[in-house]
Amino acid sequence: MTETSLATIITFVTYILGVFVLAAVSHKLLNKKSFLGEYFLGSRGLGSWALAFTFAATAASGGSFTGFPSLIYSYGWVLALWIASYMVAAICSMGVMGKRLNQVARKCGAITIPDVLRDRYESTGLGLLATGTIIFFTLCNLIAQFKAGALIIEETFNFPPDWGYGVGLLIFAVTVISYTAYGGFRAVVWTDVMQGIVMVVGILILLPVVVRQAGGLEVVNQKIINKPPTVVTGVKGPYNDLVFQLVGEIEVKGIVYRHPQRPHANLSVHLDPRLPKQNRFVEIWLATNEKGETISTGNHVKQAIEQDPYLGHQFKITFPYDNNQIIVDSLGRSLEKGATGLINLSKSPGKEHFVFIKGEEFLFGPGRSSKGVSFHPLGMAISFFFMWALTGMGQPGTMLRLMAFKDSRTLKRAILTVTSYYALIYLPLVIIFVAARTLLPELTTENSDKAMVLVSTRVVSNLGLGYQILGAIFIAAPFAAVMSTVDSFLLMISSGLVRDIYQRTINPRVSNYTVKWASYITTVVVGVIVSLLATQPPDFLQRIIVFTGTGFAATFICPVLLGIYWKGMTRQGALSSMLGGFIIILGLFSPTLFGGDRIDLLGLHPNLWSVGGSFALGILVSKWTGPPPKHLVTRYFYSK
Amino acid sequence: MNKIPNLNHLSTDPVYKSSFRESIWILGIWAACFLYTVIYCYLNGYLTHEPHLNSTGPAIGSLVGKLESFNRLPASLTTPLGLGIPDWVFYGIFCPSAVAIIITIIFCLFIYLEQDLEPTDDE
Repeated sequence: MTETSLATIITFVTYILGVFVLAAVSHKLLNKKSFLGEYFLGSRGLGSWALAFTFAATAASGGSFTGFPSLIYSYGWVLALWIASYMVAAICSMGVMGKRLNQVARKCGAITIPDVLRDRYESTGLGLLATGTIIFFTLCNLIAQFKAGALIIEETFNFPPDWGYGVGLLIFAVTVISYTAYGGFRAVVWTDVMQGIVMVVGILILLPVVVRQAGGLEVVNQKIINKPPTVVTGVKGPYNDLVFQLVGEIEVKGIVYRHPQRPHANLSVHLDPRLPKQNRFVEIWLATNEKGETISTGNHVKQAIEQDPYLGHQFKITFPYDNNQIIVDSLGRSLEKGATGLINLSKSPGKEHFVFIKGEEFLFGPGRSSKGVSFHPLGMAISFFFMWALTGMGQPGTMLRLMAFKDSRTLKRAILTVTSYYALIYLPLVIIFVAARTLLPELTTENSDKAMVLVSTRVVSNLGLGYQILGAIFIAAPFAAVMSTVDSFLLMISSGLVRDIYQRTINPRVSNYTVKWASYITTVVVGVIVSLLATQPPDFLQRIIVFTGTGFAATFICPVLLGIYWKGMTRQGALSSMLGGFIIILGLFSPTLFGGDRIDLLGLHPNLWSVGGSFALGILVSKWTGPPPKHLVTRYFYSK
Repeated sequence: MNKIPNLNHLSTDPVYKSSFRESIWILGIWAACFLYTVIYCYLNGYLTHEPHLNSTGPAIGSLVGKLESFNRLPASLTTPLGLGIPDWVFYGIFCPSAVAIIITIIFCLFIYLEQDLEPTDDE
């Protein structure tokens, strides 16, 4: 075992033990206070630090430490603009909602968001709809987060690929389910504080270390700009990817892998220089066996191109992985990394073309995806400035925390803390992973989700023994981010089932004892179900996280925000806005279910259309069906 | 279409009133940051101003007109203060982020009102 892996294991075990200690202390408090209020809302007693860290840690999900670094690595400095609205995200989401939502929740004694909606609008149906929506989006998100957690463990401990993911998933699931179920909301908050500190400390240590190793940002920029145009071909699986570096004089738009149209086709490569520049693709026809299965490998493609009298002078081809490590795949076949793994196209023929990306495109906007499309054009820049700051208000997980602080002074201090915290997290992450391009030049777009872990481990491996523990902290940061989101979401689902559906709808006279055990068991069962679903995880982690975040906003921001600020908001208006937002978001994302792209009307992200549509419906239907009952307006908007 | 009931004999909830006023301030701060950052970065930090190719219908980028004259030349890159951060990122995102922190402090100290959130007995 290397020193790095030993240090990592020690730090991880210490970290997880710390989490369990917090859960145990929290569990003791459960016995002293009202169970439901304590288990799901911490008895509305959060102080400034706890509120700040639990709010920030819940918002900073696995996406912040896997998907976001991956995007920075792939597109460069334009990600600073992508994330820019975090400069005002804390003041927007906490300042607009916080004080008023907390007051309304106290008035109606709510301990969940569906509780608030049910009581504010006096509608059981609305409460149940809110619960159903939370369960739907939260389950989708949890599967992605469980995958992220399992991948981090697999990569960190360097488990073999055939069983590493399963073991990683098991370790992650057992840890997070047990401390969440046992300790409840307060355990989640306390671990969030610990995880929040781990995240910021990890990043602030990593920042100077990575920049220094890369030779400084000036050098990084120069290296990026001087790099020859590069494309990584997206064949399926991490061990067959080929990096094509254009070193010749020809203009090539991209590379196309094609399935053979006849059996026993030989592998062949082709480029017709007589074609107009915009049509010049390198075509690679793959060889197949008698069953029509592809038998070409990455190494065959490399050799074929290098031996071609014309193309051999135009490309330098490398593998992004070490070529000397033997692994065995799930069928027991021996695979040499970067050499003999079979090429397997993930999409239909003709769609796998890629564009050469010049180094300068990493220093400026709009960035270019591997399909040649602008990554962050004006419409997306506008949309994402809305998304993080404004639609970020509509996340039930963070709204719940705004119902849990003890007084308005606490909120004020937390706003200041979270604003600084976001600045210390997100802008340094941009710098770290721009610099990482020069430290990890070989990562493919498909595998760039591992950038955080690889940067941490490789940077540390170049340093002395004293840095080994720090390396483990770097790796613990994304793990902490995933855990802090998962624990909150697990509780959200179980609170929906136990409090909103069982206690408030089915059996209002249920005993405390039954509620207590129902809460424990539900949290565990939900966790187990998500773990089972995550054994067949989806491919695109960040896409699911963005979808669920947008879905929450489209469904909840309007009925909650207008419910606490507009006297004229009616039950029907709230219902229409929830359903409308939900339907719009599903409609605009629906093509992604069939392998297509989401629908960006006018080039704007669906979050703008769904939130806008939800508000329009909420206002119009309320105007039409109003006025709301007098006693509700009096209760929530007037004092006697 | 009906009107909201007349409740003039009651006084408006003070937390609702102050939260509403604070929300207007916050949305103003957001709008200022949004306009400055997006416009500055789009005009000073983009190599091309081509519209969004995946968009359904005309993209918003094409609706604002031709902006080729703003296409950034890679050779013009500068890094203020020798920090290595590209000029458009430094002035368009890092500087306003610092200003946003200062504004947040001012908001919390001078605009945000600390109030009792507990419901009164008759509520």
